[in-house]
Amino acid sequence: MPKIKLQSSDGETFDVDVEIAKCSVTIKTMLEDLGMDDEEEEVVPLPNVNSAILRKVLQWATFHKDDPPPPEDDENKEKRTDDISSWDADFLKVDQGTLFELILAANYLDIKGLLDVTCKTVANMIKGKAPEEIRKTFNIKNDFTASEEDQVRKENEWCEEK
Amino acid sequence: MDVCPDVWGQLALEASQVYLTEGTGARSPFAGTTIEKLPDKVLLHIFSYLCHKEICRMARVCKKWRLIAYDTKLWKNVSLRPEISGLHVGSLESLLALISIRFGPSLRYIELPIELITHTVLHELANKCPNLTHMLLDFSTAMQLHDFSELQAFPTKLKYLCICLSEVIFMEGFMRKIYNFINGLEILHLIGTYEKVEEEEEEIYEVINVHRLKSATPNLRVINLYGINFVDDTHIDAFSSNCIQLECLAVNFCNKVTGSTLKTLFQRSRRLTCLLMNGTNLKSEHLMQVEWEKCSLQEFDITATDLSSECLQDMLTRLPGLRFLSAGQINGFNDSVLKSWVDLGNPRNLVSLDLDSSDNLSEDAIYKFLCKHGHQLWALGLSGMTHITDSLWQSILPILANAKILVMGTQERLGVNILADQLMDSIAKSCNNLERLELRWDPDNLRFSDKSQKAIDTLRVKCLKLKCLSLSDGRYYEIVKANFERADRMTVVRTLTNCRVSNYYLLSNYKDLVFN
Repeated sequence: MPKIKLQSSDGETFDVDVEIAKCSVTIKTMLEDLGMDDEEEEVVPLPNVNSAILRKVLQWATFHKDDPPPPEDDENKEKRTDDISSWDADFLKVDQGTLFELILAANYLDIKGLLDVTCKTVANMIKGKAPEEIRKTFNIKNDFTASEEDQVRKENEWCEEK
Repeated sequence: MDVCPDVWGQLALEASQVYLTEGTGARSPFAGTTIEKLPDKVLLHIFSYLCHKEICRMARVCKKWRLIAYDTKLWKNVSLRPEISGLHVGSLESLLALISIRFGPSLRYIELPIELITHTVLHELANKCPNLTHMLLDFSTAMQLHDFSELQAFPTKLKYLCICLSEVIFMEGFMRKIYNFINGLEILHLIGTYEKVEEEEEEIYEVINVHRLKSATPNLRVINLYGINFVDDTHIDAFSSNCIQLECLAVNFCNKVTGSTLKTLFQRSRRLTCLLMNGTNLKSEHLMQVEWEKCSLQEFDITATDLSSECLQDMLTRLPGLRFLSAGQINGFNDSVLKSWVDLGNPRNLVSLDLDSSDNLSEDAIYKFLCKHGHQLWALGLSGMTHITDSLWQSILPILANAKILVMGTQERLGVNILADQLMDSIAKSCNNLERLELRWDPDNLRFSDKSQKAIDTLRVKCLKLKCLSLSDGRYYEIVKANFERADRMTVVRTLTNCRVSNYYLLSNYKDLVFN
């Protein structure tokens, strides 16, 4: 199987099967635009992904290389978050920093499957929590003034249970 | 290819070290990467997995999150009927504010309960939501209609309108104000109170004027009149006189319909391919008047009607190319009907057949029919018959290689037991395209053994497209559910009370027919 070299932001290079690398739409487009053939010498630089994260992304892509392409988003369909496979759930048992790095990488590399499953994981962390708990969980600063906070609570009251 | 496992192994090892270090208490190298580093687009993607209630709560976290929670892209489909898992809007003022601030041009679909259907709300929707194409108006709990004398505007781009009727509220005061705005409608649902009707005879009111409505909606493709107690043949006639585009007409559970105007319906609506008349009061003599041989009907539901054998025979031998037939719960559907359909008619286009509770059909006749036509079927329902057991299924499953939907079993207690393991095994081996499966047998009639797991494993592995497996609640259900859950297919196995499998998924207009 033909391989290409991917270079992380910190200079490490990875030998990767072209087919696995192509699950990233960004890399796929790059290869097509550059018209790269099977010459080994070409190195694709990925200035936005460091080696530790790229290694994990490739681990994910290798495991999922035979997956059917993810279905197009159906707007009318309610999106579920309870369908994360146990392999993915294990794979994503990482600290928050790593999870967000993975999201950033999936977003930059345009890997829909990985972006979906990581975003679902974050959505699951959010579900059922009150605003204050959310701030604690994700270390977010409450930048509302007291009166603004009152205002935004009122704006969204209608949405709570009867 | 042979390098793959090595690369994999090495990657796995190295990656696992990433979080090993974290486990030992060392700070993650990425501790500095917080949720605040995520671009808005990604946060929006995360929010899209949350329900509207959660999204509203997230608006209170911080300014940036508020901005994202109010992004109109999250508010395309909005249900405001709290009884049907929608949101509860306390006052008209807050709804008016929401329409302009939060929904805006993104809104495509909205469901409104009676309290919120007022002329100001409709004006606001008409002015602020130019892309609103689908709307559901629920009047079913109404005690009285609001005053619509001042209604001057209404969404003009509607393609889909669903009105849930109340039994006693006359709609004309509202309808005459909107006739001018709904010319573009392609899909109309009028939902009656069939499910709420109690035993005692009450007076029936014709609460909506179908004759005037049809004049306002010449472009209807799909009409669904569901469980409306006053709808009769003259209403079908009215629609057919004005809707030349009509492809699909459903009058399920409108029990005044006898079929007396079907002949003219088919003469006028040449494009009509789908006719659903489950639970109506069809009269054989009316149906035998129809020029079936000239029509292009493909999908036909006559479940739970009183049609005679003679009439069924007559229709089935004249219909040129039926694809979908639901004809359960009809006493007249007997062996000779099935036989003459094969001998004199054309069942060769058939892809879906439902013969639920057809007690006058023998096992042998069904077997012979399926030997000839089973291979072409995508869906087969043979439920509700005590004489159809796993022995017939075992013999026909190898023929049903293209089946996507299968419904079998009866909830009545049987004298014999159903060998569940062998049945599962045969399904797995024969029907690899299976998407939905229902086994209605009583749990006490299902015989299974310690080998069950293996049979279920086979089904799970072979039928990868299986989305829904519906079983009677009981021990076997628990076993199957646990098996699928262990394999991360969490939502496949359900109980009969939660989920009923129907051939309707195969209707070509299925998406348009969904309501509520």
